[in-house]
Amino acid sequence: MSERPREDPVFLAADALDGLAGDLIAAGTEVVGPARADEPASPAAAAAAAAAAAAGLDKDVLEYRAVSRAADLALGPGMPRLSLKGLYLPQNEALFAWRQRGSDIEIEPAPTGARTRVVLGAKPCDAAALAIVDDVMNWDYADALWNGRREATTVFVLACGVEDDSCFCAAVGLAPDGSRGADGLLTPVEGGWLVEATSEKGAALVAAHAARFGAASAERREQAAAFRRTASERVATHLEIDADSVRDWIATHFDDPLLAALGVRCNGCGACASVCPTCHCFDIVEESDGLGHGTRRRCWDTCQSHKFTLHASGHNPRADQNARFRQRLNHKFAIYPLRFGEVLCTGCGRCARACHAGQDLVEILGAIDVAARRPDTVDVQSPETPARTVGAAAPASER
Amino acid sequence: MNELRQLARELLVDEKVDVVIGWEDGRRGARPAFVTAADDAERLIFDTRCVHNLATYLSPRRSHLAELGKVGLVVKGCDAKAVAGLLREAQLPRDRVVLIGVRCGGVLEVPDLPQPAELTSETVAPRCFRCDVREPHLADHLVGEERPDPPRPPMTIDERVAAVDALPVEQRWEFWVGQFSKCVRCYACRQVCPLCVCDRCIADKSLPQWVESASHPRGNLAWNLVRALHLAGRCVNCGECERFCPVGIPLSLVNRKLQQVVKQRFGYVVSDDPEAATPVGDYRLDDAQEFIR
Amino acid sequence: MTTPRHERPPATIYEPQLVTVVDTVDETADTRTLRLEFKDTGLRESFSFRAGQFGEYSAFGAGEATLCIASPPTRAGAIECTFKAVGKVTTALRELNVGDTMGFRGPYGNWFPVDEWRGKDLVFVAGGIGLAPMRCVIWNVLDRRDEFGAVTIVYGARSVADLVYKRELKQWAERDDVTMVTTVDPGGETADWDGRVGFVPAVLDEVAPAGGDAVAVVCGPPVMIKFTFPVLEKLGFTDDDVFTTLEMRMKCGVGKCGRCNIGPVYVCKDGPVFTATQLKALPAEY
Repeated sequence: MSERPREDPVFLAADALDGLAGDLIAAGTEVVGPARADEPASPAAAAAAAAAAAAGLDKDVLEYRAVSRAADLALGPGMPRLSLKGLYLPQNEALFAWRQRGSDIEIEPAPTGARTRVVLGAKPCDAAALAIVDDVMNWDYADALWNGRREATTVFVLACGVEDDSCFCAAVGLAPDGSRGADGLLTPVEGGWLVEATSEKGAALVAAHAARFGAASAERREQAAAFRRTASERVATHLEIDADSVRDWIATHFDDPLLAALGVRCNGCGACASVCPTCHCFDIVEESDGLGHGTRRRCWDTCQSHKFTLHASGHNPRADQNARFRQRLNHKFAIYPLRFGEVLCTGCGRCARACHAGQDLVEILGAIDVAARRPDTVDVQSPETPARTVGAAAPASER
Repeated sequence: MNELRQLARELLVDEKVDVVIGWEDGRRGARPAFVTAADDAERLIFDTRCVHNLATYLSPRRSHLAELGKVGLVVKGCDAKAVAGLLREAQLPRDRVVLIGVRCGGVLEVPDLPQPAELTSETVAPRCFRCDVREPHLADHLVGEERPDPPRPPMTIDERVAAVDALPVEQRWEFWVGQFSKCVRCYACRQVCPLCVCDRCIADKSLPQWVESASHPRGNLAWNLVRALHLAGRCVNCGECERFCPVGIPLSLVNRKLQQVVKQRFGYVVSDDPEAATPVGDYRLDDAQEFIR
Repeated sequence: MTTPRHERPPATIYEPQLVTVVDTVDETADTRTLRLEFKDTGLRESFSFRAGQFGEYSAFGAGEATLCIASPPTRAGAIECTFKAVGKVTTALRELNVGDTMGFRGPYGNWFPVDEWRGKDLVFVAGGIGLAPMRCVIWNVLDRRDEFGAVTIVYGARSVADLVYKRELKQWAERDDVTMVTTVDPGGETADWDGRVGFVPAVLDEVAPAGGDAVAVVCGPPVMIKFTFPVLEKLGFTDDDVFTTLEMRMKCGVGKCGRCNIGPVYVCKDGPVFTATQLKALPAEY
């Protein structure tokens, strides 16, 4: 189950949400949450939206975005297509701008103070990712751009009812009602949400808008508990692994056929990394805006790209997709846990949903877990064992 | 399906191929299968969920697959068109692949289903309507029963293109800039495309930096348009780029539009004939040149 | 008006210091050394680093190059970098002239544990541009010469023209407290070449410095390192006594961007200096 909440629960009625959002927006705070496509802002955009609808596009897609009114927030089932990551580590951001002045250079740094934001209704797996990535962003050197946004943002997660069988947050030590990385938890109950602050920031927000919240009746508390219990029980059935055994197995079986042949279907497209809440690898690029001035940016990058480790000499230590896919598993389930004590994955399942080549992390983790915990019982006839899909791997029992 | 499995088994037992690349059941639907043992041929399936264009696995940049040896590739007609493209461009020696053609009645637009499903007008992929290669011509073997024509979708791919084309140009521009602003430069579109074979993609070159890699509108427009132009006359409209795009950019509309332009200007339609002369690889003395002033 | 960069602290860890190019030396046809002075005069005095560390050198408009700090830490005032123009950034660095401004971020990474080598014999083995990261530690040692035992340097390149730091090779050869052996690959010698002819590992074998209470530092192309390790083993060096510096694709230099990660190691933080023991424990992804 989740961490114990810090504050006593209060109740936010569905029709009080509008008032709360309005208060925040009036105070200059950006309100972000899961929402469907924005209202077109111009006649041109409206026509474009109609054409998109006519062409059958963008049906009912949820994204995290800033909303101007509470009615736009979709606080219910559904997973935003991209994670919260983009709010803290944008796909591309300027690090600084430079300008040449004679033989000298002037540098204009990117601002590190960020606009005050509140996220209402984040997925718990997305919020937990923030706390996990905090480790690498503050490891010896502190990344002020990431930290600035973390400090300026208050996150209230919405307890999740479990999206589908690609969810596996429980398998990586998290929960559908977890508040890791968040400042408060909203749980759906009759007429609205039970609200529990889980940090100083969350408590401060509730206190500052106390008028919008009411008492949480015993009945509603029981509804919330039941909702959370059902969800936790459900997601636990999707995948069960011993993360420590998986970590140790991956760390000691680098050349094992089970690990070395998993990239056979993988296109190296990086869609998994784009949708992943914990993937944070980035590239630093320089762009000239004209003669004598330019911007240095960082953008998302992925170890799945063949360019990631390509040396200028042409040498590529990870020369094929098998090696690159192995690195993905290695980094997330062995290396990051060894360095920072945390799995670099929150079990949101987006990678499994986004990969149309059938690279399925639920299945892969399950197979590694079996190899790690019960090597004698690996069923090499089972089609679920990835090694069998290539057919060339030695049976596990012979290792 | 039994015909397919039996053929795959024979090819492997007789060592005519080292690996059969087809489709199999995965947890979330059909997915590409790499069968190297004859007994595993049982895993091969073919149904409406088998959307993937497996020709992409023949790409010369997939060095780890080249190691598997001679390939037996299961292809629908659209996939065979991609193989023909690779042959035409000398990206693939013909004797490296044995083509197992399957008769196809259309595929689902969203194939992520744990069980096969019948096609309806709502669920069929729009590009399947009036397909001219339901029985691939480029094939060493042909398996599968004859299937009925795919149903007509509410809007065919050409009607979808027309819906966007109907917009006045400023609104059309806003539509496309809006769609490309979603791009996160993951290059899934390129990576999955069977015809994107360049060892060093123009987007990866830094000396000079032809295409900016950051995802601002300028960079995104450059990338997506360069890719579309590089595929003009070559794209087989398998729709994989659009399906793999994690942010839902309607790439098949762009590629279909360029197919229409190529047809109109050069009278050329991509086919699974590897001998066909292409507008990009060939010229005729009577090629239109009114744009040269 | 923008505050000059050297008059304020960096806003983020990704902002370079500004340095002025005060000297350029063409070591070979494609290799150049730049001598750089910090614009921040205080930093000229206070900047310190240890032999083996690297920096991210900016050519504004092109990007950053990951290069070792090639000058010794015992000589303050300016820092140096040596590079071959192989890509976009190094090509841009080669276009810079005396007086131009570049950027520098660092020092990053770990260093050669020179203090632990006190009293030991030291053997430096380098090939081609691999001498650049070693030059720093060689001068570091020579500036503290009394603290160490015998010093042997075996350096080779493809041809006479490809030898870098030619002026310093001469200085080291002229010292009587250093055994300096220079070699070129067979076919790379000129008519008046008076050094050895042969591949570095073979020449090392001939020179045969003894292992035991000794430390070896090896840097050069992967194929050279591959053939040098067995020679050192034969001469009695254990894997703990053999040090190398690993070249990896890096970007941020501060352990965030993920690019230099191999096995449980981030080369920009746990390296680039590794013992042979540590190197052999890594997966073969470098």
